[in-house]
Amino acid sequence: MSGKMRILTSLIVIALVVAALGVWIIRGPGPLDFAGGTKVALADYRAGKPTGVPAKLEKASLVERGEYLAKAADCMVCHTKPGEKDYAGGLAFKLPFGTLYSTNITPDKDTGIGNYSDQDFLGAVQHGKRRDGARLYPAMPYTSYTFMTDEDVLAVKAYLFSLPAVRAEAPENTLSFPFNQRWAMIVWSAVFNPDTRFAPDTSKSPEWNRGAYLAEALAHCGECHTPRNLGFALDNRRKFGGAITAGWRAFNVSSERATGLGNWSDADLVSYLSLGHAPGHGSASGPMGEAVDHSFSQFAPEDISSIVAYLRSVPPQPSPDLPATTAPVAPASHKDGVTADARGKKVFASACASCHGWSGESPVSPMATLTGTWAVNDPAATNVAQIVISGTKRHTPDGALSMPAFGNAYTDDEIAAVANYVTGRFGTKGSKLTAKDVAELREQTAE
Amino acid sequence: MHMATTLTINGETKSFDAPPDMPLLWVLRDILGMTGTKFGCGIAQCGACTVHVDGKAVRSCVLPVSAVANRVITTIEHVGTTPAGAKVQKAWLEAEVVQCGYCQSGQIMSAAALLAATPNPDDSDIDAAMAGNICRCGTYVRIREAIKQAANGRQS
Repeated sequence: MSGKMRILTSLIVIALVVAALGVWIIRGPGPLDFAGGTKVALADYRAGKPTGVPAKLEKASLVERGEYLAKAADCMVCHTKPGEKDYAGGLAFKLPFGTLYSTNITPDKDTGIGNYSDQDFLGAVQHGKRRDGARLYPAMPYTSYTFMTDEDVLAVKAYLFSLPAVRAEAPENTLSFPFNQRWAMIVWSAVFNPDTRFAPDTSKSPEWNRGAYLAEALAHCGECHTPRNLGFALDNRRKFGGAITAGWRAFNVSSERATGLGNWSDADLVSYLSLGHAPGHGSASGPMGEAVDHSFSQFAPEDISSIVAYLRSVPPQPSPDLPATTAPVAPASHKDGVTADARGKKVFASACASCHGWSGESPVSPMATLTGTWAVNDPAATNVAQIVISGTKRHTPDGALSMPAFGNAYTDDEIAAVANYVTGRFGTKGSKLTAKDVAELREQTAE
Repeated sequence: MHMATTLTINGETKSFDAPPDMPLLWVLRDILGMTGTKFGCGIAQCGACTVHVDGKAVRSCVLPVSAVANRVITTIEHVGTTPAGAKVQKAWLEAEVVQCGYCQSGQIMSAAALLAATPNPDDSDIDAAMAGNICRCGTYVRIREAIKQAANGRQS
């Protein structure tokens, strides 16, 4: 080998090593690596059954088991456009580089998944591969679903195939170059899809393992609550540390005491997941409200407890932009407390005060109490602005409670003003939203 | 699902069957026949349905009946027996506030709750308490004047 060749070879080797190292650094740990214990293949795990359905459904039909698992995986919310048929797709995900539309997963042969074989369906759900061989974009959380067992994936398929076929063509995606190059997802997938089934951790309890399977393989909590890395994949170094998804802030759900779930009681967490509300911590709305309505509220109680046990074990992650504690109750009189934004106060007096009160403690329902919620204590006011724009509807055992959507009644200026007033009065630090910020938040919401 | 419910309304105990998520306004108007409280928007944005719960002005159209058990409810039919309510009603007549009248039950309930909590309200107190009660006839000027009269106990 000549001297030149040797130098060239060395350079190529160095470049490859650097590239591999770069990929390795960006990729970071897998979602369950934090647990650190010994992993065994599911077939070799004897302590419990972390996969499948809860005991009460063990004897149920394949379709019924699939229904439970499809709800646990929350397939419907993304695969349904509001006001249209369930699972018929068409929901628009607005990304910085264009719009993606969810697909029709009813058994319609022309526009849905009616022609999918079991292998085709496993390919899509676990490997991100469409029946025609094209790659799925990771808006479909196959990097989470890949942890599902074949048996569970196929139960979901049986459930979907039991539903009426709906003829509905999803609109074409409008992604810009280079994101419109589906083939590039082969590379993305090779790097970021763990492409492995759930492996129980023998150092943890059976309850923890069940919770891990539910949270990671099915409920895909991290897809919203874990920040993303340079490659738009989950950065599990900051697992469950919170992130912005579809224009809403998914808050820190790590075990951190100040800004995570560390100071929530088990009862708080059970209540929040199963009812969408925990006293003193606020109500789930936006995407989390949908997750509660269509998924968590349908979970068996023991499955909710397992998720809580699992959440407790996720290492603390800081949220440096949030205050260490939420603000106490605001004064009862409109005159006391922070009243920096005169315009915001006017809007609040007309549209908000009758239900939320001047103190933040609702005279109507604890579900409408603002005091203590992260939404009003977030100096970015993201979720305050979003809920003003789109409203919310909570379902409880005692019936529904709703807040109207004000997005068409108030201008971006007025919404910014009221969000700034609300975070100033009921939170630790007032936000400084502008009309432009509100316009951008509107743009990001899935619809 | 209907449930046997008992509420204390205007000092009387009322028992009836209603779904737990039925708004108090429906109970008042459709079940108990107390039609003084009005339906306006149904989303707590107009104030026509205002009643008092434990003395505070609350929009009854969004208040599930299950949320008000064991709480004291006062409606327009009975607010005249409270000191603040009596003053407000008297001032309302003296100032000839009412035009079409549809929003006025709610206006009077909000004004009475305001005076009970803040006996001498200034303009900003009136704004904060009354902004959620809208009046399409535009009687706002007379409403403000009547609230001040009721507070001062004098005639204009």
